[in-house]
Amino acid sequence: MFKSLLTGAALGLSALTMALPAHAEYPERSIQAVIPWGAGGATDNVMRSLTPYVEKELGGKFILNNRPGGTAVIGSTHVMQQRPNGYTVLLGAENPQLYKVLKLADFDYADFYPVNIIGQNVVVIAANADAPFNNMAELMAAAKANPDTLRMGSTGAGGLPSTVSAMINAVDELKVREVTFGGDGPGITALMGKHIDFMPLSLAAARELVRSGKLKALAVFATEETPELPGVEPITKSLPAIAEYLPWGPFWGAFVHKDTPDDVKQKLVDAYAKAVANPEFQGFLKNFGAQSLNLNGAEAEEFLKRWQSVTTWSMYKAKAIEISPDSVGIAKP
Amino acid sequence: MSDTLSYLLMAWSDPQLLMLTALGTFAGIYIGAIPGLSVTMAVSILVSFTFSWDVNDALALIVGIFIGGVYGGSRSAILLNIPGAPSSVATAFDGYPLAQQGEAGRAIGLSTVMSVVGGIVGTIMLASAAPLIGELALRFAPRDYFLVAAIGLLLVGSLAEGSLAKGIFAAGLGAVIGLVGMDPVTAQGRFTLGQVELMGGIHYVVLMIGLFGVAEAFYQLHNLDSPVVRQKVDKILPSFAMVLKFLPLSIRTSIIGVIVGVLPGVGGDIAALMAYDHAKRTVKNPSRPFGKGAYEGLVAPETANSAAVGGAYVPMLTLGMPGDAVTAVIIGALVVHGLNPGPMLMVENPHIFYFTVGNLLLANVFLMIFGLMGIKLFAKFVEMPKAVLIPLILVLCVVGTYSINSSMTEVYWMLGFGVLGYLLKIFGFQMGPIILGAILGPLMDTSYRQAMSSAGDNPVELLQGLVTSPLSLILSAAVVLILLGNTPLLKKLKSKLSPASARG
Repeated sequence: MFKSLLTGAALGLSALTMALPAHAEYPERSIQAVIPWGAGGATDNVMRSLTPYVEKELGGKFILNNRPGGTAVIGSTHVMQQRPNGYTVLLGAENPQLYKVLKLADFDYADFYPVNIIGQNVVVIAANADAPFNNMAELMAAAKANPDTLRMGSTGAGGLPSTVSAMINAVDELKVREVTFGGDGPGITALMGKHIDFMPLSLAAARELVRSGKLKALAVFATEETPELPGVEPITKSLPAIAEYLPWGPFWGAFVHKDTPDDVKQKLVDAYAKAVANPEFQGFLKNFGAQSLNLNGAEAEEFLKRWQSVTTWSMYKAKAIEISPDSVGIAKP
Repeated sequence: MSDTLSYLLMAWSDPQLLMLTALGTFAGIYIGAIPGLSVTMAVSILVSFTFSWDVNDALALIVGIFIGGVYGGSRSAILLNIPGAPSSVATAFDGYPLAQQGEAGRAIGLSTVMSVVGGIVGTIMLASAAPLIGELALRFAPRDYFLVAAIGLLLVGSLAEGSLAKGIFAAGLGAVIGLVGMDPVTAQGRFTLGQVELMGGIHYVVLMIGLFGVAEAFYQLHNLDSPVVRQKVDKILPSFAMVLKFLPLSIRTSIIGVIVGVLPGVGGDIAALMAYDHAKRTVKNPSRPFGKGAYEGLVAPETANSAAVGGAYVPMLTLGMPGDAVTAVIIGALVVHGLNPGPMLMVENPHIFYFTVGNLLLANVFLMIFGLMGIKLFAKFVEMPKAVLIPLILVLCVVGTYSINSSMTEVYWMLGFGVLGYLLKIFGFQMGPIILGAILGPLMDTSYRQAMSSAGDNPVELLQGLVTSPLSLILSAAVVLILLGNTPLLKKLKSKLSPASARG
């Protein structure tokens, strides 16, 4: 009796030990990481720089895969459709948080598990160095003196410039011609050629051109000056009311399927937290003109919720979107 | 000055950089030759691969792949009538007929030498006039891009062999396919049938592989039993006199290549087609009629697409703006390596500029060597039995398409376009105009809407812009002249002006 119990316990134990490592060994094969934006873009740059550090922390290999298209709808949908085993990671940007209100897709980041919110971009309002306005107040005045004549570079509905202009229009009036480009690059080229008058841009995209004097920064989209652009006024100086939406910036994060096993989630969370904190990667972010966030767990979920709420409600107020964020379950900020 | 020289010669004197450039060029030729495997793809894989490398090593390898890859597309275009990349579409027009006449070896030899000529002209223009050319690119307003796209679409006139109506239909079909996907302004789906996979549009390389690869493979089933063409492999290297004869044409087409290559969003593919058209218009007595194996029809696109590489580097090195998809990835690589690509790059890291120039020249030297190596063996491809060749082509088409975005849906689309292309071919439609439409349709769409919204949706303001800006005026005049030149109107006018010559 005792003997059989002992063998039973031994068998059970050995079964347990056999089962445990199989789980504990995640990752036992390479992980597919989907970047829903094209090669060479900002998201791609950040993710390709970060991944080697994550690989070191996790002890596994990532295969980076660009699946661009449809404002990241295609890549994100692909990750949602994969098995929730932690072997497919989405390395994306802020876009899915606007899918519901723009009617691009019926999901957002609430349908994923946020492994890490890596960092966010600082936004600047940039103009050609020869433009007649030198700060936000002068730009607003010029736009009011001749409504619908200034040309603003945009990247289409849901892009950074149209979101920023929606926020400005939610608290003041900025009537301009919106000229849509395929991305930051062509927009900046047009700005340098004076084919458009100004464009809200990420600091990462604009900094080198501001530094070289080809473009000038009219304002930083923040409540205080940023150390990277000394002397450029915060937008709240001309538009104090916009403070309620700030701080705001496009962000990058790593996500997995919501139903991924908890221990796998935890491993990824730990690896990403350490990798983002790596001084070398922090150096890259600083050089890139971005702010490190390194959020996970409840903090990350809180961040995502606030970002979505602030952005969609200001867009709704500025009539940049037709449907109320309420109707898709986004609460007021 | 001595600094500049040492930067220029860096890749030539360092054995490791020399090896990497050689390796890149060699690999590039074969990556470029396989439809679907593209330079952009190879370079983006390399960026993560070379993350921990020294930046010069990474750049040397990338330059080699770029130069080799752009050239490599001509291989399969000449041998199989399947362009390895969109920039070699025009190469097939006369390259394949040459192979059919037993001159595959000679065609490859000529295209190699001419690619090198184009590559060197492009590099020299980059080295000597980069800031100036970069400044010129900035002058192009949205309305000018619209006009460039219009000029490009008018190439249908010379691409459509036989029936212009069929050519226009084909270009229209291409443009509609190019418009599939998310509307660039409103982000709403167009022609997506509610499918998520179609939101990103149909990659024109998917279309190209289907139309040229699969359709061509199907079409060749018609003459499965026809005897193979024996290849003459004795005179591979073009004679010096021949190169000299084509030099004026190749310089002109190289300049076309550089200028088109500088413009973001328009690259080697359009440059090659424009150069082909230019050759067709200006060369009075080609070696054979165009489309039947004219050497000139091979020289023009091959010089232009290689020269476009130098052009694409101009905005990247002077402004930190990409000239095409490959330079966009290179900019990413520079960022990852902690360099800040932008207007200050030339001031703060001048070695990058001269190193790149020296490296481009070096890669062209290697291109000459590797390009001329093994031609005899390659020429035998044409002699391969169709029963072996055709399944091989189909496999390559599927692999190549899947590798673009790792999407099975795109493979199905590619096969669908293959069947469509086959049917169109049977009814005498040309494939070239479809690709032209697919590339230029979206450019025309976005640039027209940019021009229109810049003008405050006021057509009068837009038309004023077209004639008041000098650049727009030149481009508008070009559109009008090409239109007139392609219609009987000009002929009538000419015969009125000089009735004597018309009668004679």
